[in-house]
Amino acid sequence: MSRLILKNLTKKFDAMMAVDHIDLEVEEGEFVTLLGPSGCGKTTTLRTVAGFYQPDEGEIYFNDRLMNNVPPAKRNSSMCFQSYALFPHMNVFDNIAFGLKMRKVPKVEQKKRVEKVLEMLSLSGMGQRRPGQLSGGQQQRVALARAIVTEPDILLFDEPLSNLDAKLRVQVRVEIKEMQKRLGITSIYVTHDQDEALAISDRIVVMSQGHIEQVGDPQSIYLHPKTSFVAGFIGLANIFEGKIVQRQGPEAMIEAPFGKLRALIGDRPGKVGDAVKLSFRPESMKLGSGGDGSRLRGTILHAIFMGDTTDLFVDIDGTRLRAHADSMTTLRAGDTAEFNVSPNAIQFLE
Amino acid sequence: MERKKASAVDYLLLLPGIGFIVIFIGSSIYITVAQSFGLLSITGKSQFTFRFWEEVFHDKESLDSILFSLKIGLLSSVATLLCAFPMALFLRKSGPGKGLLSTIIKIPQFIPALVAAFLIINLISYHGIVNEVLMALHIIDKPLRMLNDKFGWGVVLIQVWKNIPFVLLILQGSLASIRDDTVDAAKNLGAGAFSILMRIYIPLAMPGILISMILMFIKAFGDFSITSVAGPAYPPSIALRMRNTATLFQEWDKAAVLGVVIIVITLLITWLYSRLADFVTGDEK
Repeated sequence: MSRLILKNLTKKFDAMMAVDHIDLEVEEGEFVTLLGPSGCGKTTTLRTVAGFYQPDEGEIYFNDRLMNNVPPAKRNSSMCFQSYALFPHMNVFDNIAFGLKMRKVPKVEQKKRVEKVLEMLSLSGMGQRRPGQLSGGQQQRVALARAIVTEPDILLFDEPLSNLDAKLRVQVRVEIKEMQKRLGITSIYVTHDQDEALAISDRIVVMSQGHIEQVGDPQSIYLHPKTSFVAGFIGLANIFEGKIVQRQGPEAMIEAPFGKLRALIGDRPGKVGDAVKLSFRPESMKLGSGGDGSRLRGTILHAIFMGDTTDLFVDIDGTRLRAHADSMTTLRAGDTAEFNVSPNAIQFLE
Repeated sequence: MERKKASAVDYLLLLPGIGFIVIFIGSSIYITVAQSFGLLSITGKSQFTFRFWEEVFHDKESLDSILFSLKIGLLSSVATLLCAFPMALFLRKSGPGKGLLSTIIKIPQFIPALVAAFLIINLISYHGIVNEVLMALHIIDKPLRMLNDKFGWGVVLIQVWKNIPFVLLILQGSLASIRDDTVDAAKNLGAGAFSILMRIYIPLAMPGILISMILMFIKAFGDFSITSVAGPAYPPSIALRMRNTATLFQEWDKAAVLGVVIIVITLLITWLYSRLADFVTGDEK
């Protein structure tokens, strides 16, 4: 188990800056997710940590050991690949034992450790099967077993669930999280799936265009996004620009294109007349006129039944906003409705 | 989806391809086998007999020819593989200049075997470029006999030079089918370059390796043109011996025996290939 430190890590591909001077510290046993859209640099960061890419600048440390020039085979990090990358010519047992063989672990010990992880990941009795004879979920578990059997210092996951169907994805991510907690291995997990990141991580690193936008625990990333990119990428958000028209104590009155809103500004800088960028989540736009928040009145453009909620697209003075109502709502397109947005639901963005 | 049953028209469409094989190749094999047993003889009376088989297997020159061709086939296939596999590995990933290099390597593929033989003769003959250069550099005092040598190294050399592109093409296809992730996973699990070669590249490319070896063997084993130009005076290759037996000595039935030997050895090597492929890929029954 290791602490991972990235200092000023930079990786370029020709003129393209894939990872742009990032700093990150991951504590021992922590589960950190690199989250972002395609091309944001998350996989490049992961592969640089694994040793598949050489950084152009910066340092990678496992605890106090500088790893920049250590080949992948000597890093004692294990990776779960998006494609599983199982060896098709070997059976499940030999796939899992591969890392142990490379480390020259005695055969008796190999057998003991492989059987232990097979049992841990509900793969008992499948040791003699070939990867091609397994389902996607089983293959993913074999890849996981192969990664953990060597007791790595750092476990690296490169979008390991993206080839699974939605239901299995939820099931396997719970298994990964439970297994990681049980073994306490420092883990870096790459995904573009925000739900996966929120469900599985101790901390999330949101990346965009090679740099880090925000680092925080799932709640703070979701509830207190710092930038419009994070607000827009994680979940749904109503993002808009406004002007401070009044400031009194911790509260400010904001003039937005669709009306006036009260927001908690705290000790954030900003004086009357300043332009600000803000956001709030659709679930913070409560249906009805009750509550202590700002009232808004708009016309329903679309009401889409989603099962547990109804997704409302609302037009307020020419601005389109998103709101969530419960699934029993009778609102339909063309209806008018009143909404209430609490001051502490509104986030000031950088 | 229900699978459509093949209609008579579907089978008729297969006729040009399958018909050609059955009529021309099948009938040739049938005639050759029959002639080796004295039937369908084109030079005398037809009568079933093992006489021609006995004569061939008691004839030293014929046996030497079979052994010589076997040796050339095996050596050429192994040597070509040993030369082509590192090249295929090197060319697996694109890189600066690799496209041009790949094109240059493939040039011999487009040169007919006989022309290739004469090209190499210019290089390795008694007063060829290689000997002249080695003597000019005072590395050797007198020219080396690299052509028409008794062992057949000249033939092997030409076979290798001529067939590297062919084997390279097959190996490149095999190696290209190995995913980068698979190699990265092995590296990540602690495998060094040698382990990756032995445990990943070679086993996963094994079907291509074996196919290229068997095809290369068949080409070199049954070769006529290269051995007739660059081969030793004795023994002739099996193909050359067969030609001499049929056209010089007018012993068509004995030539048919040699033809059947070529077919049987080829089938045997193909069977060995499939067994070996099953063994390597772990699909042994």
